Amino acid sequence: MSESKQQVSRRDFIKKMATGSAAVATTTVSSVALPAEKNKRYAMVIDTRRCVGCQACSVACKTENDVPLGETRNWVEYIEKGEFPNVRRSFLPRLCNHCEDPQCVSVCPTGATYKRKEDGIVVVDSDVCIGCKYCIQACPYGMRFINPKTGTADKCDFCLHRVEKGLVPSCVNTCQGRARIFGDLNDPQSEVSQLVATNATTVLRPEMGTGPMVFYIDADHTDERDAEKQGIYVRIDTHRRQQKRV
Amino acid sequence: MHELTWGLPVILYLFLGGLGAGAGAVSASVLLRSGGGDQAGLGFKIARCGALIAPIPVILGTGLIVLELGTFQAGNWFRFINLFKVINLSPMSIGSWVLGLFIMVSLVYAYTFLKADPHPGDDRHQLRKLSAWAMVILGVGVALYTGILLGAMPARPFWNSPILAMLFLVSALSTGVAVILLGRSVFGKHVDKEGKTTSDAYLLASSDMLLIGFEILVIFLFIMYSHLTIGSVKVAMGVILGGELTTLFWFGFVFLGLLLPILIELKYVIPTLLFQKQYEIPRSMEVLVSVLVLIGGFLLRYVVVIAGQITGSIGI
Ligand code: SF4
Ligand code: SF4
Ligand code: SF4
Repeated sequence: MSESKQQVSRRDFIKKMATGSAAVATTTVSSVALPAEKNKRYAMVIDTRRCVGCQACSVACKTENDVPLGETRNWVEYIEKGEFPNVRRSFLPRLCNHCEDPQCVSVCPTGATYKRKEDGIVVVDSDVCIGCKYCIQACPYGMRFINPKTGTADKCDFCLHRVEKGLVPSCVNTCQGRARIFGDLNDPQSEVSQLVATNATTVLRPEMGTGPMVFYIDADHTDERDAEKQGIYVRIDTHRRQQKRV
Repeated sequence: MHELTWGLPVILYLFLGGLGAGAGAVSASVLLRSGGGDQAGLGFKIARCGALIAPIPVILGTGLIVLELGTFQAGNWFRFINLFKVINLSPMSIGSWVLGLFIMVSLVYAYTFLKADPHPGDDRHQLRKLSAWAMVILGVGVALYTGILLGAMPARPFWNSPILAMLFLVSALSTGVAVILLGRSVFGKHVDKEGKTTSDAYLLASSDMLLIGFEILVIFLFIMYSHLTIGSVKVAMGVILGGELTTLFWFGFVFLGLLLPILIELKYVIPTLLFQKQYEIPRSMEVLVSVLVLIGGFLLRYVVVIAGQITGSIGI
């Protein structure tokens, strides 16, 4: 067996493993079996080069999801650094990372927070959540808050109600620079898969081991501590109630 | 400055929960050490005092924690029942079950002492011994879980240490001993005319001393390892090593809550320990030592809970 063929078949195998049950069916009776519904793995790519910091996504998110005043599911941080003429200002849109290994899920005592098997979206079931705030402590990204109306944990849910109907999330829909691209990482043809494959991407706080599913292109990870180290001026505006990054 | 997601109710809960669990575990183990619970005498009296105290702070603390729930504040008062519809590997889930069991068993255990003249061999004796075994395990469980609860999250570097649970356990046991000491000192009849406590508090005082000694060691390890690492943990540890909580931690907890009581106890315990003298301590000193230990226990929870929340991962 040639090298390349071996690789192909191994990849095939892994793919079939991933789709689960259909591994045998497809090889033997592939002509009759319906293709098994493949699980999705939704992800977002944020191309910060295309972001102008207009906060349209923050506004769209707030209206779409009726996010209470003072709380934020989505925000855009401004990062300014340097001294004229050597300056840069960049933008860092923030939302829940829908982590592969979400800490919020592992601490939730009621099972209200869980990662959906069918598409990888991390959701909160507000009928189950007791509002213990454990997940708020555990999320390394400060994404969660208590919704004052329900008293339960709340955060970005990739606009599940839209995505289920085949629409893109509201923030993606509104982004005028097309900085946000949403799609299925399990589909190699999707735009997110192609972007992740062809760009240098980063995620936030990778050392937390959460495996974020929001990938950034050309994100500036500078913070105040870097400023000290590099001896440059840095200013970060979070544009949310919490004026410092959580 | 980060926001405080968990405030005073949680701090009090961790303190009171540990206190009651400690008192319960100490009481039960003293009982079982007196001939498996069959001997009358000092051990039995101490056990009785601890047994009657134990459920009170735990129930109080649990009541407080319910007040902190978002759903309770939003008017959905009984939503917390959901905790008991599932059990999963979340420390809070396991902890709630252990806590629930502890409360029930501690009430049963207290009930066995709640009669005119409880003594080994009376009609509640079997139940007393049985619940005492469960009390030791559940008490240690509750005390440990309060630390595991905080320690489980990489996102909170100040808390994310395996030794935090150990620290909370030792502190819970020592505050448990202190509250029994305090109870006996205030309500006890073993105080003579000059206001001196007779020898029977020696067991408690000397165990308290030992526990405080352990606590100092664990605190040392906690700080040393965090300090020797780099990155987020070290930065987080900075809040008690020069940062905003330094005074409260070092003066409030370490000096007032650990060093002062252990020094006072040493003064009275040493003669008995080394020269087999009759143990004597003025009642005022006994009260002072217990109160200091209790204040220390509270300040430890206070500093730890706040420090964990005002620090976080560095970088983005
Ligand atoms: S970003 Fe936070 S809230 Fe979102 S999945 Fe990850 S850990 Fe959970
Ligand atoms: S606040 Fe709700 S979602 Fe978060 S950990 Fe508690 S029960 Fe789970
Ligand atoms: S996906 Fe929906 S909920 Fe999430 S940030 Fe975008 S608009 Fe908000």
